[in-house]
Formats: sequence, structure tokens, C-alpha cells
Amino acid sequence: MTETPTTTGRASRASADPVQRVAVLGAGTMGSGIAVVSARAGWPTTIYDIDADNVTRGLDTARRFLDKSGRLGKLTTEQVERATANLSGTTTLPDLAGSDVVIEAVFEDLELKKSLLGRLDDVLAPEALIHTNTSTLSVTGIASGSRHPERVVGTHYCNPAPMMDLVEVATGPRTSPEALARTQDFLARAGKTAVRTKDRPGFIVNRFLIPWENNCIRALEAGAGTVESIDAAVTGALGHPMGPFALLDIVGLDIHHQVASRLYEQSRDPRFAPPPLVERMIAAGDLGRKTGRGFYTYGDTTLFGS
Amino acid sequence: MSTFDTVGVLGLGLMGRGIAQVIAQSGLAVTVLEVDRDRLDTGVRAIGEFLAEGVRRGKVTESERAATLERITGTTDPADLKPVDLVIEAVVENPEVKRDLLGKIAAVVRDDAVVATNTSALSVTDLAASVPNPGRVAGLHFFNPAPLMPVVEVIAAVQTEPGVVDRLAAFVGEIGKTSVRAKDRPGFLVNRLLMPYLNDVIAELDAELATAEDIDVALKLGLGYRMGPLELLDLIGLDTHEHATSSAYRATLDSQFAPPPLLRQMVAAGYLGRKSGRGFRFGTHTAQETAR
Repeated sequence: MTETPTTTGRASRASADPVQRVAVLGAGTMGSGIAVVSARAGWPTTIYDIDADNVTRGLDTARRFLDKSGRLGKLTTEQVERATANLSGTTTLPDLAGSDVVIEAVFEDLELKKSLLGRLDDVLAPEALIHTNTSTLSVTGIASGSRHPERVVGTHYCNPAPMMDLVEVATGPRTSPEALARTQDFLARAGKTAVRTKDRPGFIVNRFLIPWENNCIRALEAGAGTVESIDAAVTGALGHPMGPFALLDIVGLDIHHQVASRLYEQSRDPRFAPPPLVERMIAAGDLGRKTGRGFYTYGDTTLFGS
Repeated sequence: MSTFDTVGVLGLGLMGRGIAQVIAQSGLAVTVLEVDRDRLDTGVRAIGEFLAEGVRRGKVTESERAATLERITGTTDPADLKPVDLVIEAVVENPEVKRDLLGKIAAVVRDDAVVATNTSALSVTDLAASVPNPGRVAGLHFFNPAPLMPVVEVIAAVQTEPGVVDRLAAFVGEIGKTSVRAKDRPGFLVNRLLMPYLNDVIAELDAELATAEDIDVALKLGLGYRMGPLELLDLIGLDTHEHATSSAYRATLDSQFAPPPLLRQMVAAGYLGRKSGRGFRFGTHTAQETAR
């Protein structure tokens, strides 16, 4: 993969690993990606989802990713086999009983996440860590679903999780220093670069990305430039790998609207509110690459087809 | 056939040097004006060093280096700019200095010579108002370092004749850059977008969202940015950013341009970034990786 273990990651690998089993809740894109990260790092990893078909699909996605890593020479055949053998799936929550770390990556719904954490309390050992991969909800709010909020830590992975090194680590007011330290150790062993942030809307990346993108959309609305000229200016003058509109088309206008709205609801800061153009584009069905048209028009939607 | 055959550059500071170099490298003759011989020598020497570094890295051939330097003529006499087709003003960001100089130059050059300003924080329309025949005045905003940055903003003032902007855009293409048209609004296009983002980061750093290093790391790894915002501020210079964002704020009364209190304090303390030895990241104990 693109990741190279950090110096601390290598150092801690030498010491005894307190984590023996990992579970991932939710078999979607993030869940299956995080399962790859965990299985690849050497932990037996169980994907849980209420839907058996989802579990099958999630495991398939994870296995296909590992196979591709092997074909591309990013992992040896042996590494692929070992990581694949680490993967299993279940639709039964009590099967996660022996897990030392559980990473929640289900749908972004506060009540769903809270109730899941409550049910986990009945299954897990009291010292097991619970990580929540929320991107737009409050870690504190999610942790309140557990009778042991001190063991709940926000770990926000970037998509695609197996390829992106960054994990934002957010602690709530109840999170214990031990849980934080164990989380940082876990992420270092998984080859991730952890940054610490407070439990605030958007953490670090979305906190700055969403107002940035909204501002670019408002500049477009205001006639300050065109889609092409703004993208060219941003990539050329600021060295961003992609202009704001090319990026929004990949993310999807519907997803941008959802994330921006959630951050706006929490912050009441108008800079997070999606500009009117976003709603017009959604109304027109122009969601970005996945529908063939967003800020740009695409001939081929298969790569990003949903 | 190029749009402009001879070009004058006013000022050989950081931006003037880079602009003169880019134009000379494209094959055009450049006359550069400075107030005294010392500044001229320093500027031309810096261009020579930049090109020599390019030769060492294999980006520029020895003969290109020599030919580029030969195309640059220094002068301290505005009258020497008489024959140029295009003047690019790149002196200090002080409206009085710029207006005074542009007035002097406009009196020397032909009536149809295009007068461009490389201002980043002042209004092109305001500057054009001080020049006779303001229809020939426009903004031509290069980014630092000009020889390496591929984009140049072309800005029409209220008075600018449409043909002038088209010719400048063609010229930008001829010197190997991409032109982006922008309105004469504070920050034009790029800085209009960049300044609120940088202010936002400073305000959240002050609000202890995360450490300066973690903010930079998160945005670099998460979004693939070449530099984190706080490293970027150290490079730009905190005083330079404060000046630009304050003038954008005064011109718009839009709070996203208001300089955050922490920025003002850093500038007051003399922590201006790389140039002063200390900034948000540079010169702090966690900044070894950037303090190369």
C-alpha cells in the first residue's frame, strides 16, 4: 500500500501487542476498508452487519482489495493470504465477544450508533476499546450510548481507508487517557498517522474543507470565475492535487450537501451551509461523476457508478 | 509573432525578479527599472543565481542561462522605458508609491503601451485612476516564485478596454503560463479563496482545535495539499498575509477576511514566519521537519 509505517509504528511493533482480535461494525465502503487495514496489520478481524448480504459484499470488497494489492506487488502472496485468512464475517453481535478493539463504521445516524454501542456493552469485555468512525456526528453524543463512555474514541479514517494514512483521533470529555493512548498505539501498529483533534464539527479536515468548497461554489455563483478557471487557479497557484469542482464531482454533490448540512446544524456557522447552487444541482440530478454530470460532464460513469 | 516585443518591469524585488526572468526566458527583451544601481545589481545577481541553480538541476541549459541574462537590461532612468510595449509594475505594495511611479511611467511610454500592475492587495481600478488613458491599465498577478508557478491572474479594472485583457491573456500563454481571468475584487480569485481558509485555520489554532503540526499533517495527508496552511503562512510571511487580509476586510467588510487576533499578536511579536526565524511552525521545537 502507499503507507509506510512511521518510526513509532515500527518501534511499537517490537513490543507485545495487547490487541488480539478486532471487529468492524458495518460492511459498507468505510467498514470494509477499515477491515482491510486491520487484517493487513495482522489482526483476526470480523466484519459485523445486520444484513448477511452486506457482510458477504463487504468481505468480497475487502478480499478483492487485498488480491489487487498482491497483483500490483504492494503485498506479497503470503501477505495477501495471511490478511485474507484474518477476515471473517457475522450477523450476530455476541460473536464479537472476544474483540479487543471494535470499530464502529455504520450509517451516520446518531441513534443507530448509540444503540449499537449500548448492545456492545453487553457483549464486550469492560476493557475493550470502542472506536467510532463518524465523520459528522459528535463523538461525545455517540459515546453516550455506552455505559462506558471512557473507552469510546473517535477515529475518523479517510476514504479509501486502506490507502490513506491519516486518521483523525477525537476524544470526548469522558474518554479516558488510557483509551486514547491505546488507540494511538493501535493506529501506529496499523501503519496509520494519527492526528489529535477535539470533538468539534468536522474535526480538522472537514472543518476546513467544507467552508473552502462552499466558498469556491459561492465564488462561482458570484461570477468570480468559471468552473474551469477556478480549478485551474487552485491547482496552479496553490498546488492542490485537484480543483474544488473536480473534487466535488468525485465526492458527489449529494454527499457534500449532507456533510455540509450536518456541520451547519451543529455549528450554526453559515460558512458550512451548502450554497443554493448545490441544491439546484441536486434537484437537476447532477450529482457528479456518478450520474455523469456535475460541475463537469462525464462520458463514462462506470468507474464511479453507484 | 508575440503580443508584446519588449517589456519593462518596474522593481526588482522578489516578484519583479521572477517576472523579469520568466519573460526573458521566453525570449523577449526586458528592461528592468530600479531606484539605484545597488538594487539593480542585487536583483540581476539573484536572477543569475536562480538560473545557475536551474543549470545545476538540469532544468536550464548553460546557453539558455546566458541568453536569458543577456535579454535583461537594467536601468535607473524611467526614460529608458520609452520603447516598451508592456510595462509590468512590481514595486512595494504601497498605493502612493505605485500611483506615483505609474504616473511617471505613463508619461514616458507610448500612449498605446499596456500598463500592468502585479499588485496582489490593492485595487487595480484605484491604481488605473491615477494613470492617463486608464483603459490600457490592467492587473497581471504572478504568484511567488514566478518562474515556477504556472498560473497568472489577468484582472480587468473598471476602466480596462476589453482588448487589453485579451492581449495580456495571450501574452501569459506566450511566456508559458496559464492565464486565469479575475475580477478586480479584493484578493482577485486565488487569494479571495485562500485568505478566508488561512484565517479560519489561525482562528481554530487559537481555539485549540489541534496543534499547528497536526493541522498541517491532517490537511496534507487528508487532502494531498503540498503544504499545510500554517507552513504556508510561515512561507508567505505573517505580516504579508495580515496586510492582504486586512485590506480585503476594509474593502469588503466581510468578516471572513478579518485578521484573527492571533495573527495580529504574532505580527506584533515579530513572529513573521521564515523571514524572521519564527512563525506558526518555523522555529518552533516541533518544526524540525519543515525547518530545513
